Amino acid sequence: MKQIFSALFTVVTALSLLSPAQAEPLDPLEVRPTLVRPQVSLPTNLITVPVVNPGEYFVPPSYEDIPDDKTGDMIRWGRNIFVNTQEYAPRYAGNGLNCVSCHLSEGRQPYAAPLWASYPIYPVARNKAKRVVTFQQRIQSCFKYSMDGIAPTVDAPEMDALVTYAKWLSTGAPVGVALPGRGFASIKKTKDPSPINGEIIYNTRCALCHGANGEGQKNRNGVGYMFPPLWGMDSFNRGAGLNKVKTAAQFIKANMPLGSGYTLNDDEALDVAAYMWIHFRPDDPRTSFFMNRFSPKPGGGH
Amino acid sequence: MVKETLFGTRVRRLAILVVSVIAAVVLGYRYTHQPRYLVEKTDPAAVAEGRKIALNGLDGVTACAHCHGQNGEGNQELGYPRLAGLHPKYIAKQLRDFARDPMDIGVKVDPISRDYEKTPRVYKDLTIYSPGIRRDPMMNPIAKALSAKDIYNVSNYYASLPFSAKPEPVDFETLERGHELAVRGKPEYLMPRCNACHGPNGEGFGEHFPPLAGQPPKYIISQINKWQNGDRDNDQFAMMKNTANLLTDGNKVNVARYYSNKSHSVNEE
Repeated sequence: MKQIFSALFTVVTALSLLSPAQAEPLDPLEVRPTLVRPQVSLPTNLITVPVVNPGEYFVPPSYEDIPDDKTGDMIRWGRNIFVNTQEYAPRYAGNGLNCVSCHLSEGRQPYAAPLWASYPIYPVARNKAKRVVTFQQRIQSCFKYSMDGIAPTVDAPEMDALVTYAKWLSTGAPVGVALPGRGFASIKKTKDPSPINGEIIYNTRCALCHGANGEGQKNRNGVGYMFPPLWGMDSFNRGAGLNKVKTAAQFIKANMPLGSGYTLNDDEALDVAAYMWIHFRPDDPRTSFFMNRFSPKPGGGH
Repeated sequence: MVKETLFGTRVRRLAILVVSVIAAVVLGYRYTHQPRYLVEKTDPAAVAEGRKIALNGLDGVTACAHCHGQNGEGNQELGYPRLAGLHPKYIAKQLRDFARDPMDIGVKVDPISRDYEKTPRVYKDLTIYSPGIRRDPMMNPIAKALSAKDIYNVSNYYASLPFSAKPEPVDFETLERGHELAVRGKPEYLMPRCNACHGPNGEGFGEHFPPLAGQPPKYIISQINKWQNGDRDNDQFAMMKNTANLLTDGNKVNVARYYSNKSHSVNEE
């Protein structure tokens, strides 16, 4: 026991000495012994866990609070489309993913692009479109790139349902404010990402669920994916946000492995993202077949 | 009589060629790409051997059926888990973890250097995770007495057994709260939902994610407690350890009773 605690103490002090004393942006990580009894696992008895204080993130309304009226029906429909896009909006989905594949916990998870943080800030200028886009147009580009499908028109019933669901999720959220947990976690790279390291990390930590070839795993009945594919024809296309190494790394850092977020450091997350990036995925719909073959792949950064 | 023209023969040949190529591609794809979700076979010889151990025990090992039920259905009152229909590799891994000697506390373990830049290939096969331990006064001596062959046999036997859960009546509030955890988790505390790994209805998924539906609530609660106090530490990437650490006592009861309300059957129609 004493040895463990002394080792712990030295590690913590060493970390505190190494880290600069300057006021850095608040790190949501804290190194602490997680368990009452020392563990045998490696890394021995220190594990990095995100410490979430109650009230740190916005809490959207509960599913049971959906009103019992026409609006409520629309919200439920929107939630169904969001959770099971393959069944409720099949004509707009071009690959095997659902909205929840990335927007975890039905669009509620902080740092997994939660809807309650994005709905109140739209319309907003986007670099990708180089103009001010509305929330509907943002959803359209989700379908076009991340779902590798056909964008529903802004007046499509599915679009209405999704917008109603997003609006309901952000009930009580301040309008126009960048809430904590918005988008993805921030990341700071100290070296260029290496897909070789990424392959090793992928095989040891990701392949268990996402498959050795990133093909994901189908449900037992063969319909839809239990664990989404990361590349290949059933994954998002080259125009998607997650095709950018940095964005994918930001997502991975906070959320993967599921439940053990923040166990990869920033560079490891970038390595895995780079390994994902080098694989084949569907073409970018903005450019031609020819340009998709012979122009440099988008998303690699500079 | 119609004379066979060059054009007609060519078209017919081309048509036959196209059809046969399409047929070859389709059939070839179906034969070479066995979907993963279908592969859960048990070895019949091992099942017969495992049955003897499960029902009669070995010398020094009591029969598994004594606690886990005659058909591997578990024990609701005492909280012994059901084993029928679990993935054979999952059962085998648990037995191996039960049998493993926990390392002495205070043993110095040299941390594996993770500077992959220098020798990327060397580290490929190394696992940096816990070998996995489960502390349990009842199961540890039993698992230690089993040989590797016994473990293989027993796990195949239990994997081959049919199982149907008997849904228990649960009050509405508990169900609602359990459902919330199973389907949405606690996103404000960064806790993922249970069903994300344990299958869409908690019926389990693959060799790493055991079923929750059909397990006695008492067993589920005791296991989450063990994750929390460290008596169980054999998951992948600390996923379950981190998740269990975010559960309150109320959460445990709600989610365990929610899953006891689920209907679920394996290996039978």
